[in-house]
Amino acid sequence: MDWNLIFENTLKGFIGINAVYFAIAALGLNVQFGYTGLLNFGQAGFMACGAYGLGMTAHYFDISFWWGIPIGIVFSVLLGLLMGIPTLRLRADYLAIVTIASAEIIRLVVRSVKFKTYFGGSDGINGFSDSFRSLGNDFGIEEADEYGFWPFKFTGRELWTLIIGWLLVALFGFVVYKLMKSPWGRVLKAIREDEDAVKSLGKNVYSYKMQSLILGGVIGTVSGMIFALDRGSVQPDNYSRDLTFYILTALVLGGVAKVSGSIVGSMMFWGLFTFMDNFLRQVAKDPVSIGNFTIMKSTQVGQLNFILIGITLILLMVFRPQGVFGNRKEMAFDGH
Amino acid sequence: MDTERTYGEVATRARDSFQGVERLPGARKHDPILTADNIRREFGGIVAVNVDHFEVQKGSITALIGPNGAGKTTFFNLLTGFDQPNSGDWNFNGKAMNGVASHRTAALGMVRTFQLTKSLTKLSVIENMRLGATDQKGEKWWNGLFAAVWKGQEAEITERADELLARFKMDHMRDEYAGSLSGGQRKLLEMARALMTNPTLVMLDEPMAGVNPALKQSLNQHIRGLRDDGMTVLFVEHDMDMVHDVSDWVIVMAEGRIIAEGTPDDISSNPAVIDAYLGTRQGQSLLEGE
Amino acid sequence: MAVQDGFGTGFLGRVVFQVKSSLRSSPLIRLFILAAAIFSVLGFALSPAQAEDSEYALRIQVKDQVRTSDGKTDNQPVPGVEVTVTDSSGLVVETGTTDAEGVLIISVPTRADYTVSLNEATLPSGEKLDSRTPAIQNVLTDSFVTKTKVITYFTGESQNVSQSGFERVAQRFSDGIRLGLILAMCSVGLSLIFGTTGLTNFAHGEMVTFGGIMAFVFNVTGLTFLGFLGFIPGIRDDGTFHIFWAAPIGIILGGGFGWALNKGIFGPLRRRGVGLVTQMVLTVGLSIALRNFFLSRFEGRTRPFADFSLQKAWDLGPINITPRDFTVSILCLIILVVTALGLRFTRLGKATRAVSDNPDLASATGIDSEKVIRLVWILGGCLAAAGGIFRGLDEQVSFDMGGRLLFLLFAGITLGGLGSAFGALVGGFVIGILVEVSSLVVPTELKTAPALVILILVLLLRPQGILGRAQRVG
Repeated sequence: MDWNLIFENTLKGFIGINAVYFAIAALGLNVQFGYTGLLNFGQAGFMACGAYGLGMTAHYFDISFWWGIPIGIVFSVLLGLLMGIPTLRLRADYLAIVTIASAEIIRLVVRSVKFKTYFGGSDGINGFSDSFRSLGNDFGIEEADEYGFWPFKFTGRELWTLIIGWLLVALFGFVVYKLMKSPWGRVLKAIREDEDAVKSLGKNVYSYKMQSLILGGVIGTVSGMIFALDRGSVQPDNYSRDLTFYILTALVLGGVAKVSGSIVGSMMFWGLFTFMDNFLRQVAKDPVSIGNFTIMKSTQVGQLNFILIGITLILLMVFRPQGVFGNRKEMAFDGH
Repeated sequence: MDTERTYGEVATRARDSFQGVERLPGARKHDPILTADNIRREFGGIVAVNVDHFEVQKGSITALIGPNGAGKTTFFNLLTGFDQPNSGDWNFNGKAMNGVASHRTAALGMVRTFQLTKSLTKLSVIENMRLGATDQKGEKWWNGLFAAVWKGQEAEITERADELLARFKMDHMRDEYAGSLSGGQRKLLEMARALMTNPTLVMLDEPMAGVNPALKQSLNQHIRGLRDDGMTVLFVEHDMDMVHDVSDWVIVMAEGRIIAEGTPDDISSNPAVIDAYLGTRQGQSLLEGE
Repeated sequence: MAVQDGFGTGFLGRVVFQVKSSLRSSPLIRLFILAAAIFSVLGFALSPAQAEDSEYALRIQVKDQVRTSDGKTDNQPVPGVEVTVTDSSGLVVETGTTDAEGVLIISVPTRADYTVSLNEATLPSGEKLDSRTPAIQNVLTDSFVTKTKVITYFTGESQNVSQSGFERVAQRFSDGIRLGLILAMCSVGLSLIFGTTGLTNFAHGEMVTFGGIMAFVFNVTGLTFLGFLGFIPGIRDDGTFHIFWAAPIGIILGGGFGWALNKGIFGPLRRRGVGLVTQMVLTVGLSIALRNFFLSRFEGRTRPFADFSLQKAWDLGPINITPRDFTVSILCLIILVVTALGLRFTRLGKATRAVSDNPDLASATGIDSEKVIRLVWILGGCLAAAGGIFRGLDEQVSFDMGGRLLFLLFAGITLGGLGSAFGALVGGFVIGILVEVSSLVVPTELKTAPALVILILVLLLRPQGILGRAQRVG
């Protein structure tokens, strides 16, 4: 049992790039779900918009990488409109259904052979991130060099993405915080609790919900961009319904309707996940057997971890829906 | 039973505006702020509302009464855009309202409260009040981030809110979560919040329901105060004492139709009204005193 | 707040207090969690050990069998065909395309089970896979005789080329009806659960998968301790049951699963007054946990039932259909008709429809909603399980078989009307036909996309669906 390795990986998990892109996506989801009560189960679709926006600059458009950012944002706004227009006047469930469906269709389309020239099919897209990398070099961070001290040792490549990533987390955290403290945020919080009350005060609830959906979606898009930049590639199967659900778990874990909840929840999620993953792999290395039955195979570690995620979400909803840091009085799922 | 009445100038004018108005259902008023024609609402075969003609006199306090199930709340919902009628037209201040969305009717000055109070429990009292203000720059998402743009307006709004809260004697609870208020206090809050929109017509759906008797007196005062400030008030009520006490005009609904109109005195002796209530005895019990 | 059991009133104390009081207040939640824990541990205990580590590869060849003029068959390479290799946990090892020689070599980390999937959409037009080499092939650990395992696909002339337009459309319609019947069956439960409790169950796909997997466990894996029942026809000494036994058992277990979910989780939460959004998020957690549980136990590949899996299709005029699929469709139809009649004419059925259409009115007339809700969960579980089993007979069993249908189920019940059982029947059926027929104009890989278009159109134009109530909607 290599506790050193477990410890090192866990700490890296807490602050690593996974926590980063989850935190950004969770911030977006928090705007939609935590503050406004919109059930967006398609955040992965928004993330795909960002990733493919970047990827297509190299794969299809053949233009500078930096154009990918506005392109991704445009995709994201269009997606938000597509999902919001039919559903935002209706019950929350309908948005959930349409967002799941849309995200799934996006995945099928970008994965398809038919649209391979645009989106790269199931191979995905590579080789678009060089401009990003060289920017890092300009700042004096060499890709191959190792930086940091134990246990936080990163290659230059990792470090650069991490720095940018955490800066974005701070930026969006700040933006969301300020917005939610403004009158605009106040309207959203009121909508979350009771739409009719807000309508009776003369405010166009539909419009506000759309704004919230799109803002949250655009933030999710940035998350997708960081995700793609870290991997250096865009793979369609990464943007699945499961991804949205895991981000939702991280959000609920940390606490909805709190900026810190999105960030800390994501860190906790990945810290715990990495810990369990490493720990279980160590256990499975020398499998514990009873007679001729093995308790666990190494290939099953991944699933066990995910099962635990699902159970965690269930337990949170039953016992502590406001999450670890949320405020029960302020939490307004269903007006509780 | 409260017999104090403020025979102030505005009150007298309001009462006088009903001189010469017929004491018949659908009577035409001298200066109506709200008129409605042929409003019909059906729910799977049941006709909930079937109003031929309806007018509310500007600057008056008009009561809309009737037994349970008469369709009063449904009528409210139809007039304010929270529900769509099967047919009918209505005008507010001369503007056609058919098809106007609920938030637009409120923005145009026709503001309503709800039978089941909708005070936003997760917001504080003062935040509830601030929410009510209209045309807030800070509510636009592009301004949200830049506090400098809306800070000034927010301060004005807060001042106005505090004044209103003081008037309703709720200023000491300004920072409490609305969820910790009693039922009656929440009713007051909803009314005060509605006033933040500077409405022209205030429509109160059962403002007395669930309010303890001690609070009812001050509620009466507040409603008269609204009329004195130049607003028109239309309210639904079951409490006949209050209706008799405070209203300038009474419209009676039963089974979706308007069956009688008149001053409070006219109505309490109207046989059609007594008939309508005999079936349910809802309003009657309160006349026997509490 | 009351005294915190010694942990103080700080943050940790509050959490502990909350957890403890919730556990105290609901014995059933405790029971369910305990059951879940035992289930997962047992699940892991029952897996065999595994060998490890070497350099292995899969050599995939795609060959076209062409009849030469002298009547012999020649094998032409087929380039540009996309093939994906996934390992037993469902993770993609690699995806590649065959080269000019029609060959693709994919190295695999170890000697283990893999699934090789050929993307039929990438076959040249006019080419179709020979039925001897289906698109999805399983490579078993033991089949690695040398370090490289060869997998061959043969293609022949596409049936489509020799089919007229009418035949193609008819075939698609027939496929669509089959899918539609299954979707209709799975959707009834989903729609009724929504109607009676207001809950949109995002784990319903897993209830479908549950049925398929349970039947599989009885049919293929077998339960050795039940071997003593071997004297009963259809049950073998190794504890495997013929599908005629395994299917009803699977359906009953599915109903039991639905009952357990209501009893252990959703019932207590409902009585506690927990809101719908919280419950919906909970179904998300349930979906995650179940999917991954199935994945870990069943692994990533698709596996067929032991009975009726390889059949020659009947040629019924313009349509080809295997006797199995035909029978399944008839069975589906019978089950659907019985369910519909039951809902329409029995007292319990009428009560169910009443609670589903108008819960307030129903309880006002003295109907015991809790009893109806329990029935709905059981019925929903049974029908979903049946759907899974029937689907498994047609398309093999996998950990994901229900999850993949979830969005089609939602499209169906939205089209038919959320909360209406008959709406679910109609909606599911229509979506099934639509999906299959659309593959005439839309590439097969995207044939579910029109369902999304329908979903959006319905919500824009008539959100309550065909048979739903307008008041339910906004």
